[in-house]
Amino acid sequence: MIQLDNVTKEFDGKRKVVALDAVTLHIPKGEMVSMIGPSGSGKSTLLNLIGGLDKPSRGEIRIDGQQMSAVSDDDLTRMRRDKIGFIFQFFNLLPTLSCLENVALPLHLRGWSRKKAEERGRELLDLVQLGKRVEHLPEELSGGERQRVAIARALSVYPPILLADEPTGNLDSSTGADILKLINDLHQRLEATILIVTHDMGVAESCQRTIRLRDGKVVEDIRR
Amino acid sequence: MILLRLLTMPYVRKHKLRTVLTIAGIALGVVIFVGMRTANDSVMYGFQQTVDRLAGKTHLQVSAGETGFPEEVLEKVQAVAEVDVAVPVIEAIVQTGIAGQGNLLLLGVDMTGDRSLREYDFEAGEEAVIDDPLVFLAQPDSIMITRDFATQNKLSTGDKLKLETIAGPKQFTIRGIMKPGGMASAFGGNLAVMDIYAAQFIFGRGRSFDRIDLTIKPDYTLEQGRLALEKALGGGLQVDSPSSRGKQFESIASIFSVGASLNSLFALLIGLFIIYNTFSIAVTQRRSEIGVLRSLGATRGQIRTLFLMESAALGLVGSLTGIFFGLLLARGMAQYLSSFFGELYGVTQRVEEISADPRVLGLAMFVGVFMSMLAAWVPARAASEVDPVKALHKGAYESFSDHESRMRLWAALTMCAVAAACWFGGGSRGVPLYAGYLSVIVAAVLLTPAAVRSLVAALRPFLRWVLPVEGALAADSLMQAPRRTSATVGAVMLSLSLVIGLGGVSTASYVSLIDWMNNVLNPDLFVGTSEQIAERSYRFPASFGDEIRKMDVVSEVQNVRTARVQFKGVPVMVVATDIAAVGRRVKPKVVAGERLEMNRLSAEGKGVILADNVALMTRTKLGDIVEIPSPGGIIRLPVVGVTIDYSDQKGAILMDRKVFIQYWQDDSVNLFRVYLKKGVGPEEGKKAVLQRFGGERKLFVMTNQQLRDYALKVTDQFFGLTYMQIFVAVLVAILGIVNSLTVSITDRRRELGVLQAVGGLRRQVRQAVWMEALSIGLVSVILGLALGAVMLFYYLGIIREEVAGIRLDYTYPVKIALILIPTMMAVALSAALGPAESAVRSSLVEALEYE
Repeated sequence: MIQLDNVTKEFDGKRKVVALDAVTLHIPKGEMVSMIGPSGSGKSTLLNLIGGLDKPSRGEIRIDGQQMSAVSDDDLTRMRRDKIGFIFQFFNLLPTLSCLENVALPLHLRGWSRKKAEERGRELLDLVQLGKRVEHLPEELSGGERQRVAIARALSVYPPILLADEPTGNLDSSTGADILKLINDLHQRLEATILIVTHDMGVAESCQRTIRLRDGKVVEDIRR
Repeated sequence: MILLRLLTMPYVRKHKLRTVLTIAGIALGVVIFVGMRTANDSVMYGFQQTVDRLAGKTHLQVSAGETGFPEEVLEKVQAVAEVDVAVPVIEAIVQTGIAGQGNLLLLGVDMTGDRSLREYDFEAGEEAVIDDPLVFLAQPDSIMITRDFATQNKLSTGDKLKLETIAGPKQFTIRGIMKPGGMASAFGGNLAVMDIYAAQFIFGRGRSFDRIDLTIKPDYTLEQGRLALEKALGGGLQVDSPSSRGKQFESIASIFSVGASLNSLFALLIGLFIIYNTFSIAVTQRRSEIGVLRSLGATRGQIRTLFLMESAALGLVGSLTGIFFGLLLARGMAQYLSSFFGELYGVTQRVEEISADPRVLGLAMFVGVFMSMLAAWVPARAASEVDPVKALHKGAYESFSDHESRMRLWAALTMCAVAAACWFGGGSRGVPLYAGYLSVIVAAVLLTPAAVRSLVAALRPFLRWVLPVEGALAADSLMQAPRRTSATVGAVMLSLSLVIGLGGVSTASYVSLIDWMNNVLNPDLFVGTSEQIAERSYRFPASFGDEIRKMDVVSEVQNVRTARVQFKGVPVMVVATDIAAVGRRVKPKVVAGERLEMNRLSAEGKGVILADNVALMTRTKLGDIVEIPSPGGIIRLPVVGVTIDYSDQKGAILMDRKVFIQYWQDDSVNLFRVYLKKGVGPEEGKKAVLQRFGGERKLFVMTNQQLRDYALKVTDQFFGLTYMQIFVAVLVAILGIVNSLTVSITDRRRELGVLQAVGGLRRQVRQAVWMEALSIGLVSVILGLALGAVMLFYYLGIIREEVAGIRLDYTYPVKIALILIPTMMAVALSAALGPAESAVRSSLVEALEYE
C-alpha cells in the first residue's frame, strides 16, 4: 500500500538539517501503524511526505504502486483527495463553516452536488456520534468533538489511507481514549490503512505495528 | 527607539510588499496634492512673473478690465498732480507661425516715455536706434525682440519677422535685440516690443489703449495717488497695482483651483484609509508580539508610541516619495493647464518653470506625516489596549465589538442628522453646505463596516451557488475581518464616489451645454480672429461686418464684441451684440423675465440681460439696477431678464452693441455670427468667406458644427480631471485590494493549507482568492456608486452656489457607472492574481503549522 525507498528529506536553511535519512519502509494495506520518537526525530516529516504535503529531497514514495514524484502538483492533490484522509493535532477545521460544511468540504472540492455531499456529511457525523451537531460552528464544540468532526472530514470519501498527526495530543486523556477507540473502530469497520504519529505510548501500543524513529532513521519496527 | 529597531525593522523586512504598498498609499495622496497645487501655482506664478517683469517701475495701472479705453484717458491721467510718469500700453499675444515657437507676447509702448518706467537693456551698438525714439517711430515696421528669441530663431538686427496682423501677415524689421534678464525674460523670453500706434493697427484696436502704466511722485503715497486717479477718472476705470492682475487671474481660474483642492483632499483621505488598513492589519498580526511585550513590562504608552513612530516614519518616506513624483506630475500638468487656461479664458500667461512653493511642499510633508499618524492612531490605541492574556487568541480583534458597532452606528446617525440639519437650516450654500457634505462623508465612512457586512452576507448565497466551497470561503473571509475589508472598501468607495460625483457634473454640463448650443448657437458660420474662440487680442473693425454682409452667400451678419469686466468682484464677460437681430434668431432658456420684453428693453438700451450664473453668484435679481464699470463711466441699467448662457464660464452680461459703443467708445468686433442664404451649405459658405478675405485679413472661420466641436473639446479638457480621478480610483483599488488580499492570505494561510490538504486543487484555491477580490470590488462599486449619488448632489450645490453659479440638472452618470463596474471588477481580479499565486505556491506543511 505504502512503500518508501531510501527517502531522505533535508531542510536548507543557514544550517542544513536532515529530517529523514534514507528511510525504507513498507506498510501493507489495512495495517494500523503508530510512529513514535522524540521531537525532531522526523515523524511528522515522514507523515507529510506520505500524505503528499511535501516532497522528498531524495528517494521514492509509492502509494498503491503509484510513484508520487512522477505526478504533477494537481495530480498529487487528486491522489490525496481520493486516497488519503488527514487528522491533525489542532483539528484544522475551518472556523466559519459548520460541522456539516467542514465534513462535506472535500466532497464539494471533488465536485459533488450539495445534496449528495450533505447526505454523506450527515452520515459521517452520525458515524462519529455528532449527528445532532451538524449546524454547529467549530468554536461551539469541545476539543474532543472538534477532533471527531476532523475525523469525519478525513473519512469523507472513505479513503484507503488515514494519516493522523498526534490525534489525541491536544485532548485530555479521557477524550483522547474515546478518539482512539473511534479510530480503532473505524479501522476495523472500514479496513483502512492507518498511520498515527504520537508521543503517547498508550496510543502506540494500541496499534498492530509501531515504528520508532530517531535522528531521521528507523531504529525500531515492532509488529504485535 | 530601541523597540522600533528591534520590533519594527524585522516586521518591515518580512513584509516588504505591504510596506511598499503603505508608502505608496501615502505617496499617492501627496502626489495628487503636490502635483495639482504646484501645477496650478506654477500657472499663476507664470502669469504673475510676466506681469511683474513687464511692470518695471510701475506703481499703478489704469485699465478698463481687458476692454481698453480711448486715448483721451491718457491726458486725464497725466493731468493728475500726484502722477509722475504715465505711459500707454497695449499688451497682446501674436502668433508667430514659427514651428515650435508658439506665441509671442507683444508689448506696444510709447518709446518717448516708456524708458522712464521700463529698462530696455540693448545689446551693444543698438542703443543709438532706440536712443532716438523718432528713428523708431519713423519706421512703423520696427520691432524689438529678446536675445533668447533671436538666438532660437537665428534672427539678428535688420532681419525681417513675419507676424499675423488683423490685416493679414505683415513683415516687421528687427531694430533692436534686448539682452537676457529682467523684462526680456518675461513670457519665457518670447517677448517683442513695438510702437504703440503700430500695435493699435496690427491688433485692430482703433484709437484705444489697453492700459496706462504710471508712477506716483515721491511726495505721495500709492493710496493717495490711487484715490486721486479714481476721483479724476470716475468709477468706470480701475486703478490697481500690477500685482492685482494676478489676483484677477486667480479669480477667473478659481473653479479649477476648487476642483484641484477637492481632488487633493480626497486623495489624502483615501491615503488615510490605506494607512489605517495597513496599521490595523499590523496590530492584528502582531498581537502576540504585543502581548509578550506587555507581559514583559511595556507600558500602554510605549506600545502606542511604537506604532505612532512607525506611522510617522512611513509617512515621512511616503511624503518624500510623493513630493518627488508630485513635482514630476506638476511639470506635465502645468503646460497642459497653461494652454488650457489660455484657450478657455483667453488670458496671457506662460509657464516657464515649475514653481515649487516651499510652503506647499512643507504642508505636503506635514500632511503626509500627520495623516499617517492620524490614520494609525486608532490601531495604535487598540494595540496599547491589547490584553496580554488574550493576545494569543487569534481572530477576536479583527471583529468589531458590539459596543464599537453601536457607537459607530450612533455616530453615523448623528452625522446624518447634522447633514439634514445643515440642509434644512439653509445649507444650500456657504459653511452649512460644506459641513453637510463633510458630515455625509463621515457618516458613509462610519457605516462602511456595517454595510460591507450586510452586503457580503447577502452575497454569500450567490457566491456559494457559483462555487460552493470557494464562494463560501471568500465571503466568510471578508466577514471574519471587517476591519481589513471595510478599510479597503472604504478607500475604493470614496474614490469611486468622487468619480461618480465629477462624472455626474461633467455629464450634466454636457447636457446643459448641448441644450444651450441648440438654443443659441444657430448661425451657420462664426468668423473670429483666431482658432481659439476665447482669444481677444485681435479685433475686427465694424466695417468688416458690412463687407461680409455684402457677400452673395450671406443672409445676415451679427456683430459680437466680448470683453471681460469686473462686476461685483466677479470677472464676468460683457457680450455686446445687436440684440434685436439676435433675439429674432435665438430662443435662450429664460430663468427670469419675459423673452420678447427683455429683448425689446435691452435692444433699446434700457436694460441688460444677465446669465443665470452671474445672477446667482452676485445675488442679482430681475429688476435690480446693476453697475458695470466702463471707460465712459459706470453704466447703471436694470436687469430686464435672466437667461441660461454659457458664453463664458464666469458668466456673461448681455447688452446691446450701441450701449457698449457709447460707453467704451469702441465699435470693434471680436466675432461675427453669420447666417447663410438658403441652399448655401456651411462648408461652401466658409470657403467663400475665406476666398474673399483670407488673403487680406487675419481671420478664422468655423462652421456651426466646428464651433460646437470646439466647445465640447474645451469642455472635455476641463473634465480631463475626471479621467485622472478614474486613474486614481483604479490605483487606490489596486493598492487596497492587493494589500487586503495579501493580509487575508497570510491570515488564512492555515485555512488555505487545509483546503489543499483535504483535496483542494490549486485552481480552487486561486478561485477562492479571486472571488474574495471580486467580492471586495463588487461591494466597493455598489457603495461607491451609492455614495457617488449623494456626492453629485453636493457637487452640483457647490458649483451652483459657491463656484460658478451654474445650475446643472441632477443627472446620474449611468454611462460612467456602467464603465466603472466592469473596470473595477477587472482591476479587482488583476489585483488578486499575485496574492492568489502566492497562496498556491506557499509550502503546505508550513501553512498547516502556521498560527
